[in-house]
Amino acid sequence: MDRPKTLPLAVVGVSHRTAPVEVRERMAFAPSEAERALLELRSVAGVEEAVLLSTCNRSEFYLFPALDRRGLAAAEELFRNHAGDLERPTADFLFRRHGEGVVRHLFQVSSGLDSMVTGEAEIQGQVRDAYERATSLQVHPPMAGPVLNRLFQMALSVGGLVRANTAIGEGSASVASVAVELARKIFGSLRGKRVLVMGAGATAELMVEALARDGVRGIFVANRTLERAVPLAEKLHGHALSMDRLVEALPAVDIILSSTAAPHPVLPHSLFREAFPRGRRRPLLAIDIAIPRDIDPRIGDESEVFLYNVDDLRKIVDDHVRVRAGAVPAAERIIQQHSQEFRSWYASLEVVPVIRNMRERAEAHRQAEIARLFRGLAHLEEEDRARVEAFSRRLLNKLLHDPTVRLRKGMVDGAGADLVEAVRFLYGVDAEGRPEEEASSPSSSRKEGEGEAIQSKERSG
Amino acid sequence: MIHLLAFLLYLGAFILWVRFLLSGARGEGPNVASAVVGVAVVVHAAALGSFWARYDELPLAGPGAALSSLAFVGGMALLALLPIRQVARVGVALLPFITVCLGIALLVGIRPSDQALVFQGPGFVLHVTFAFLGYQGLAMASAAGFLYLIQHHELKAKRMGRFFHFIPPLATLDLLGQIGVWVGFVALTLALGFGWAWTVQHPDVISLSDPKVLWAILSWAVFAVVLLLRRGRGRREYRSALASVVGFSLILGSYLVIRLTSSGSGFLP
Repeated sequence: MDRPKTLPLAVVGVSHRTAPVEVRERMAFAPSEAERALLELRSVAGVEEAVLLSTCNRSEFYLFPALDRRGLAAAEELFRNHAGDLERPTADFLFRRHGEGVVRHLFQVSSGLDSMVTGEAEIQGQVRDAYERATSLQVHPPMAGPVLNRLFQMALSVGGLVRANTAIGEGSASVASVAVELARKIFGSLRGKRVLVMGAGATAELMVEALARDGVRGIFVANRTLERAVPLAEKLHGHALSMDRLVEALPAVDIILSSTAAPHPVLPHSLFREAFPRGRRRPLLAIDIAIPRDIDPRIGDESEVFLYNVDDLRKIVDDHVRVRAGAVPAAERIIQQHSQEFRSWYASLEVVPVIRNMRERAEAHRQAEIARLFRGLAHLEEEDRARVEAFSRRLLNKLLHDPTVRLRKGMVDGAGADLVEAVRFLYGVDAEGRPEEEASSPSSSRKEGEGEAIQSKERSG
Repeated sequence: MIHLLAFLLYLGAFILWVRFLLSGARGEGPNVASAVVGVAVVVHAAALGSFWARYDELPLAGPGAALSSLAFVGGMALLALLPIRQVARVGVALLPFITVCLGIALLVGIRPSDQALVFQGPGFVLHVTFAFLGYQGLAMASAAGFLYLIQHHELKAKRMGRFFHFIPPLATLDLLGQIGVWVGFVALTLALGFGWAWTVQHPDVISLSDPKVLWAILSWAVFAVVLLLRRGRGRREYRSALASVVGFSLILGSYLVIRLTSSGSGFLP
C-alpha cells in the first residue's frame, strides 16, 4: 500500500451536535446490528479495519484506510438504509472527519469533551464496548487491526489521563447524580436506606435507579390513586401506596423524591407536622423537582430536613458544569499531545519496510563481498573463515546501527517523511521498501544472485 | 530537638490538608499528608522514648512532658484513622489540637518532674494513660462534631463547594463522634478510678479537693452530659455534635483557668 502523507483514517457519523434525538435514535445500532454493519462495510474494497461506536448520543463509523471515498460512501449508505425515510436527506445529519481530525475527535469523545454533558464518564465504557465488539468478531484479518487497535487503545488511555489530570469529570453534572451525591454526603452508605417517590416523572425514576445502584432498598411509590402508583412500583421493585397514606410512610423513609404534576403541594407543612409531631429525629433528604413545587418550602426549615428544589439542583449542576468547562483547555492539551504521539507511531510504521530493505541490501552486499574474498583465499581454514565472517557481520551491524536508531527517532520526532524520502533516495527503494529495480520489474520476487547484480551495478556506477 | 521535628511534621501535615481543602480538589486527598502524619508519630514516639531513656521517667508528669504525651495519643488515634480514607480528613480538625499541645509543651519545656518517684507508680501511669485516652476521645469527637456542624450548614445552605466535598458524610462523622465519646467516657471513668486509688496512697501529694481533681470530675460530668444529650427527641445527631464541641471547649477552657490560677503539683490533669 502506498502510504499517503496524511493519516488515511476517516470517521462518518451522527451525534447530538448534528442531529436531534428522533434522528439519532433511527441511526443507532444495536450490538447485533453493529456487527452486521461492520461486516458489510468490510466487504467494500479498500476498507481493512472498521469500528462502530453507537450510543444514545452518537453513531460513528471509524474506517481505515480511507484512501478514497468508497469507504465513507458505503458507511453513509449504511446509515441511510438503517434510518429509513427521514424528513431531510440522511447526509444532512452526518459529519465527517479525515486524517488527524479523526484521532482528535475520538480522543475528545473518549475524554467526554464531545459529550452532551461535558466530562460524563459513561462514554469511556461505551468506547471500550465498541472497540471490544470489533475485536471480538471472528474475522481475518481482524476488524480492529493494528491501526484502529492502537487508535482505540490510545483513546481509552487518553480518556483516563484527561479525567485523572483535569477537573473535566468533577462534580455531578446531572440532576440524578447530584441527588445521589447529596444522599451520600448525608447518609454515607445508602445501603438499606428507604426512598419515597411521589409522582411518576422520568427524572425521579432516573434518580431512584441511580440510588438503587448505590444500595437503596426500600422503595415506596405514592400517587394520587393506588392504581397509578402500581406500574412504577412494580418497575422499581417497590411498594405502591396512595397519597392519603403519606403520614404513615414518612417516618420510615430517609429520602423523598417528588415530581408530581399536582397544582398544589402534595406534602404540606401540616402533613409533615402530623407525621413528625416532635420534629424529625434522623436526617431526611427531600428532593422536589416538580413545578409547581410538591413539598412545602417551610419543611426545609425543619432541623433535620435537607430540602432541594429543581432550581437548587440546577444551580449545583451549573456550578459543576462551569468547573468542567474551565478544564477543557487542559484536556485539549493532553489530547493534542497524544494525537501527535499517534501520528508519530503511524509514521514509524512507514519506516519499518525501509529499514528492513536497507539491512537486506547491506546483507546482500556483505555476503557477495565475503564470497568474493573467500574465492581468492581458498587456503583459509574453516575456523579462520568463520572469524572473517563474524567480523564482517559485526562491522555491518555497527555501520547500520546509528542510521537505524536515528531513523526511528526521526520518525517519532516528526521528521519522518523527509528522512524516509532521503533513505529511499540514497538506497534506491520504493515506498514499500523494495529496491527500485525490483519494484519496477514485472515480477516482484527476489532473484537469485541478487547480491552479484547489485555488486555489478555498483561497480559500473 | 526530636520533639521539635515531630511538631514541625504535625504542622506540615496540617498545612498539606488545608492546602488540599482550599484547592477544592475532589480526590482521595494527599497521600503525602498521611505519610507525614505517620512519620510525625514515629518521630514523636522516638522523642518520648528518648525522654524516658534519658530521665528514667515516663513522660507523664510535668506540664511539658504530659502535654507531649497527650499530643502523642492524639497522633496515634489519627494514625489509626488514616487507612479509612475519607475519615482521615478529620485530621484537619484534630491536627491543630495535637500541634498546639506539642507547641505549648515545647514552649514550657519538656522536663522531668521534681517528684519523679511519686509519679512513677503503676497506679499513676494507668491513671494518666487512661486520662489521656479519655481526653483524646473527646478531642476526636469534638473534631468530628466540628466538621459535622460545618457539613450540616453546607447542606442546609445548599452549597456543594470545597467544604462539602472535603468533609466526610454526616453519618460517618456522627459515628466517629459516638466512638470518640464512648471510648473517652470509659477511659476517663477508669482514669478517675485509678486516680482515686493513687490519691488514697499519696494523700500528701494531692488532695481530693485539689482544683485539678475537681477539673477531672467536671470533665467526666461533661462526658456524661454529652452522652445524655444524644438521648431525647429530635436533632440528636446535630445536638450530639454540638455538645462534643462545646464540651471539649469547656474542658479546655476550665483547664486553662486552673493552670493560670493554681500552682499545684505540676502533672497535667
